Amino acid sequence: MFGEISALIVLLPVLAFVLTLFLGKKLYSGGALLPIAAIAGSFIISLGTFLEIYPDGMVQQSWPWFAGMNIGILIDPLAVVMLMMVSFVSLLIHIYAVGYMAHDPAKPRYFAETSLFTAAMLSVILSDNILQFFISWELVGLCSFLLIGFWYHKPSAAAAAKKAFLVTRVGDVLFLAGIVLLYVNISEIIATRAFSIEPGNFILQFKTMFEAAKLIDPTQLTLITLLFFGGAVGKSGQFPLHGWLPDAMEGPTTVSALIHAATMVTAGVYLVARTFPMFVATPATISAGVPDALLIVAYVGGFTALFAATMGLVMNDIKRVLAYSTVSQLGYMMLALGTAGAVLGAKAVGISMFHLIAHAFFKALLFLCAGSVIHAMGTNDIREMGGLFGKMKITAITMLIAALALAGIGFPFAGLGMPILNIGTAGFFSKDAIIEGALEYGEVKGDMIPYGMAIIAALLTSIYIFRLWFMTFTGKPRSERHAHESPGVMTRPLMILAIFALLFGFSQAGFYGYVEKNFELMNVEIAVHEGEAFHPSPIIVMLPVIVGVLGILISYAIYNRRMLDMSKIISSGNPIYKLLLNRYYEPKLAADIIGVKLTHDVVAQSGEFIDRKIIDGLVIDNIIGKTVFQLGELVRKLQTGVVQNYASVTLLGLGLLIILLKIRFGGI
Amino acid sequence: MTLYSYLIISSIIFTIGAYGIITQRSGIKILMCIELMLTAANINLVAFSSFNGNAAGQVFALFSIAIAAAEAGIGFAILVALFRVRDTINLDNINILRW
Repeated sequence: MFGEISALIVLLPVLAFVLTLFLGKKLYSGGALLPIAAIAGSFIISLGTFLEIYPDGMVQQSWPWFAGMNIGILIDPLAVVMLMMVSFVSLLIHIYAVGYMAHDPAKPRYFAETSLFTAAMLSVILSDNILQFFISWELVGLCSFLLIGFWYHKPSAAAAAKKAFLVTRVGDVLFLAGIVLLYVNISEIIATRAFSIEPGNFILQFKTMFEAAKLIDPTQLTLITLLFFGGAVGKSGQFPLHGWLPDAMEGPTTVSALIHAATMVTAGVYLVARTFPMFVATPATISAGVPDALLIVAYVGGFTALFAATMGLVMNDIKRVLAYSTVSQLGYMMLALGTAGAVLGAKAVGISMFHLIAHAFFKALLFLCAGSVIHAMGTNDIREMGGLFGKMKITAITMLIAALALAGIGFPFAGLGMPILNIGTAGFFSKDAIIEGALEYGEVKGDMIPYGMAIIAALLTSIYIFRLWFMTFTGKPRSERHAHESPGVMTRPLMILAIFALLFGFSQAGFYGYVEKNFELMNVEIAVHEGEAFHPSPIIVMLPVIVGVLGILISYAIYNRRMLDMSKIISSGNPIYKLLLNRYYEPKLAADIIGVKLTHDVVAQSGEFIDRKIIDGLVIDNIIGKTVFQLGELVRKLQTGVVQNYASVTLLGLGLLIILLKIRFGGI
Repeated sequence: MTLYSYLIISSIIFTIGAYGIITQRSGIKILMCIELMLTAANINLVAFSSFNGNAAGQVFALFSIAIAAAEAGIGFAILVALFRVRDTINLDNINILRW
């Protein structure tokens, strides 16, 4: 029953978007209730669909569109877990926003845009073909542009929105090129009769793509998957297209929470997970037994995880720290797809998706807590905070839970062979599995670099997030602001998310089992590289938790006990500190080299030269332009601006027409 | 009454309307003249319909009247708005949309 109406998952928030946009001003709280009701509806339908198709069903609907393409819905295990997470987290963020945005005059626009944002993301998830996926993907990009620049009167917000749009656009162009290349290749193998589309299927549907992937020229397949990955790099803020995500903090905090947890950056990881069989099918030329595409995914992800974590260490804006944390955690998800994908096959999708969803819960929670603090303090700068624990108990405790989840704190009883369940936060279960996957990859393929990057990043993660927590909530207040706890409409979503950040991890085994079956259900075989049973030593099993705790202790020593005076390092102009604080000079590089030097000085200037001197100049001193101009001068006096003149000419014309018709056809 | 008498009346009304549009300066008068021309067309429709024994023309006339009403509503609304901004509805003074 829910399966048949699954199109409503997308259509309800779209409807709410239209209604809120036009009627929001007249409704309670800028029409916030419409998107909340619509997204609650989406969540209920998603949940109902899940209960219906569990454990091994799917929803497939498809309508022909044009030129062999289609519009369709595909809800498989991968999609349904994402649908539930996105609609649920988005729902909580919308409820929270009623309180957070209470004083903003542009509420109808805000709620309309977030509703469309959610709809676009839900549409990405349940697309059954890559074209529809791409269209929804672009809509997500548009909404992020609108929302990052929500306070468009602030120049920094307008610039951040532009940067987000342009940087992700680079990825989108690559993605589109990948789709075109894929289409050309599939058409080619159809033309040579090596492959045919089954009746009822369409050319860019995922199942057709997976079947065709085996027959496409391997080099072309690598190129296609890497172009897809380019799109994912842009959307998910991976190196080198990561710069837009921290700048995106210019929007309202609730928008950041939406972008980081539910509706935007996860789309990139989802794209790789969605087209995972194609990544696995790429040939292994760089490293033996590791498909090229997966190797690159693993290295980009691992490097991003480490690289972003180093910048998270020094940021003073509470939201910027979280932004770099997101970039870093997305790196982990990519790393999982790459490394675990090479040794465990389809299980990697489960591992990556599990971290994605666990991350969505605790990162949404972190952002909403940060929003609560910002709401109370009126500033983003953690140097001006401190000592808030007593004043904002709920926020402080829920944020502590989220920070523990991000640091991956827990105790791996079962991993050490004890007959008890592992106990820990959601992040413990999900991140441990990723690091373990990277370790197994290292053991089997003899390449420990991704594992090393993952472990060091885990240490840094724990340091930066507890630096944030200690500086915000402990110690003495460093400014005279009067802080207070946020209203219930804001704290209750925090509590719900905190429960998920604590307990979601226990669904691990069931989650893996369910999502792993995804590609089996679509009749796609994924080669699993069976190795011998893998039994790491206890110290290795404990290592992620050990570095997590170590990070907390380091933060505690520096930022709470003040055992090391950071201010000396900061004021002495330490080159590493400067490099990190300036974000590896990436924003400068983007603005000066690409923006000014390349775009303006080279492309625009040469374009101007060609236009002015060659095109205008060569055509005999601009003779065409001048002639057209003079002809225009001649006849423009006909436009007198007096209505009567126009009416007379019209009547005259009508009369002439009648006379001509008379002459031609005769009559009375 | 023959068909001709209706057609003659209608052409007289039409001519009055056309003359008014060309000679009048006031926006309201011009709108009224447009209504006259529309009425002339409607008379033709009804006359032909009645003489041919085909009801379609009369239905057509009904539509045309409804649309004329809507059009007049918009036209007068524009004139009211114009009057608020420019304090005049003399079309000779409203001529900035030109070379």
